[in-house]
Amino acid sequence: MIKICLAGNPNCGKTTLFNSLTGSTAHVGNWPGVTVEKREGSYRKFDEKIDIVDLPGIYSMSPYTPEEVVSRNYILDEKPNCVINIVDATNLERNLYLTTQLLEIDVPVVVALNMMDILKKNNETIDIKALSEAFKVPVVEISALKDEGLDDLMKVAYGEAKKVRKGTTILEKTTVGSLVREAYNELKTSVSSPLFHAVKLVENDELECKDHPELAKRISDMKSKLPEDDFEGDYEAIIANERYEYIGKNFKHTFVKFNEGLTKSDKIDKVLTHKIWSIPIFLLIMFVVFHFTFSEDFLGLNKIFGLEITSKGWFNFFTGMGYDGAIEEEGEAILSGIPSLGVFLQSWMGFLTGSIIDLFNSFLPEGAWYTSLICDGILTGIDSIFSFIPQVLLLYLFVSILEDSGYMARVAFIMDRAFRKFGLSGKAFIPLLMGFGCSVPAMLATKTLEDEKERDVTIRITPFFSCGAKAPIWTLLAAVVAGRFLGDVFVFSIYILGIAIAIIAAIIMKVFSKNYDVPPFIMELPQYHAPQFKNLMVHLWEKFKHFIYKASTIIMAAIIVIWFLSNFSWDFWNGMVDDIESSILASVGRVVRYIFYPLGFGSGADGWKYTAATFTGLIAKEDVVGTMAQLGLVEGTINLSNAAIYSFAAYNLFTLPCFAAVSTAKSESSKKGFLVTLAWWLALSYIVALIIYWLGTLLEAVLWLGSIVIVVIVLLVILLGFYVSKKKRAQIA
Amino acid sequence: MPLLNAPLNVELKIIKILVDEKTKRHLENLGVLVNALVTVMQVSEGNVIIKIKNVRLAINKSTAMKIFVAA
Repeated sequence: MIKICLAGNPNCGKTTLFNSLTGSTAHVGNWPGVTVEKREGSYRKFDEKIDIVDLPGIYSMSPYTPEEVVSRNYILDEKPNCVINIVDATNLERNLYLTTQLLEIDVPVVVALNMMDILKKNNETIDIKALSEAFKVPVVEISALKDEGLDDLMKVAYGEAKKVRKGTTILEKTTVGSLVREAYNELKTSVSSPLFHAVKLVENDELECKDHPELAKRISDMKSKLPEDDFEGDYEAIIANERYEYIGKNFKHTFVKFNEGLTKSDKIDKVLTHKIWSIPIFLLIMFVVFHFTFSEDFLGLNKIFGLEITSKGWFNFFTGMGYDGAIEEEGEAILSGIPSLGVFLQSWMGFLTGSIIDLFNSFLPEGAWYTSLICDGILTGIDSIFSFIPQVLLLYLFVSILEDSGYMARVAFIMDRAFRKFGLSGKAFIPLLMGFGCSVPAMLATKTLEDEKERDVTIRITPFFSCGAKAPIWTLLAAVVAGRFLGDVFVFSIYILGIAIAIIAAIIMKVFSKNYDVPPFIMELPQYHAPQFKNLMVHLWEKFKHFIYKASTIIMAAIIVIWFLSNFSWDFWNGMVDDIESSILASVGRVVRYIFYPLGFGSGADGWKYTAATFTGLIAKEDVVGTMAQLGLVEGTINLSNAAIYSFAAYNLFTLPCFAAVSTAKSESSKKGFLVTLAWWLALSYIVALIIYWLGTLLEAVLWLGSIVIVVIVLLVILLGFYVSKKKRAQIA
Repeated sequence: MPLLNAPLNVELKIIKILVDEKTKRHLENLGVLVNALVTVMQVSEGNVIIKIKNVRLAINKSTAMKIFVAA
């Protein structure tokens, strides 16, 4: 079987090409580091099946971060039949640097000039003949996005894959040429890709020198006889410089005059990365996103104009508000405002799923155990989750738009200053932001961080960035508190709380780790572009599919187990129980709930239900609302105090994430780090929920005393922050 | 002068890079080399955005302090 891998700089379109070639739907985004693991697919247009391997983006064959190691090792060790080097045609100079390194390996290489559509639009061309002649490898023009030139590319790559190619180097005629030749002659019989290793040896690569100590010594003697230059004997710098010089000298005429002067992107950046406005703008953008998704009173229209509608007229039909089962009697005020898009969709979804349950109820015999299983168990559980899906998808859509436009990389940049104070670099912000979608890919994305400690800390706080599966909990609680204060403000405050606690947690971990320097922040900022509609839809579809898959397997299984436990007593052979209070789940829950007594939601007659819901959350966070619905806890029946609701929300936000996330954390963190991480999640969630419940209760009882205590705590946290940054400054000085 | 204090939108030449080895390698691979031409596009709270080889790179303050440029 033929193996062809895709290699190139970050954000040059490798994954887009991979998706087009293999018909996959791998995640594409507009920032460096979207792909963190190698990914395989197959191309089937030829008689022979061809394996296509998509690799994380690399700037060079000397890796800097773990995900770059993946790429380098694959190309060197797995020996693909051909490497397709994807080159961003709008930025030849930097992209060809990697090409000059790939050419040194004994593997057939095909250069794919990507983004030719952008060039053509600007009436630019590249002299591909000159490129091909200089590098002695085929060059093909393509546009991965527009599906242009892909058949040609594959034909050429397939042809090349059958050939054998010896490495060539552009360093031949430079000052280091003699050194490389010397090393090459020594290595050519003993290792594969001798030219690549020879260059590494001249660069003083640590591993390489250890493997060939005598040769390394001879080379360094030769080096001492060479004339001095600007790089003070730093041979990696000299070689990097030679590569760029070569590219500049030979291909200057082919460089396209893109991105010169102030581009549109630069002008946008003047505003979005402004030293004062950048962070307020980011917060505003996030709030608008939440408002569109969770607000029950869109743009505050009701507050301003005082809308109140008392019949199920066309207006209600249009907004969906009167049909979700909340309104029973004619004449009751139905609509308290125009809902946001998210709430609108949720209302209709609730109406739809509610109708399905009614339908099943109408033809299944009353009182039979399977009616109970289907209607009260499976359908009610699934319904409670399903009705939140529109909102979750909408939130995900907004995040995808931000990702696809290129704003993500900027957010990392503007957050870097603040993050540095907490012991993280701005780069950690991207995995954290992805955590809003799902913790699993977010934890995988920590591979882009170069430091192990920083990865551990980031993994530890990732679940605090509330994921899509937790969103149904907030939406349900938002509906409960909507009568007391604003739903969107409640949800927004949960998200902000998550971020705030993540920051405090990072500070605490920083205080307890000695002599730790935050790695520097160096990141390429891609050009902004309008989000691709197709791309957004693919993201949404993937998310939806993932959800359906989860709902039909693990969530369904949990729901059935919960149904059994809550409908049968210990002597289950005697049939179903009439009263849920005498079920197995109730008797177990009533014991376990004492753990949550101090947190407020464990007490009372329904305490065991919240306890059970919290535990099923470990399987999948969607199960929290699923279980609650099965146990009869819905919008009208949740009667916790505000403080207990907040405490319940906080506990579920900060405690152990679902099993999938826990196992990802295990595989991505350092060995010692993982156990600390588990203890950390358990302890932190309990403490935070405890503080929230007690403070909240105090506030509700004695407002002034509660306020004072809260102010004192906030001051303490700020003082802690100051103390840390001062200590840090003292260390530097 | 360090990159941090360099004037905006003027093409400058890098004369010295005083960061640790690992970071230096990374910068070199991105084209941030002695004698390379660089333009500072934006300074935001000490963090800078530079243009080098027509690519925009974001660099944090302490690193930007260790890259020296001259007109």
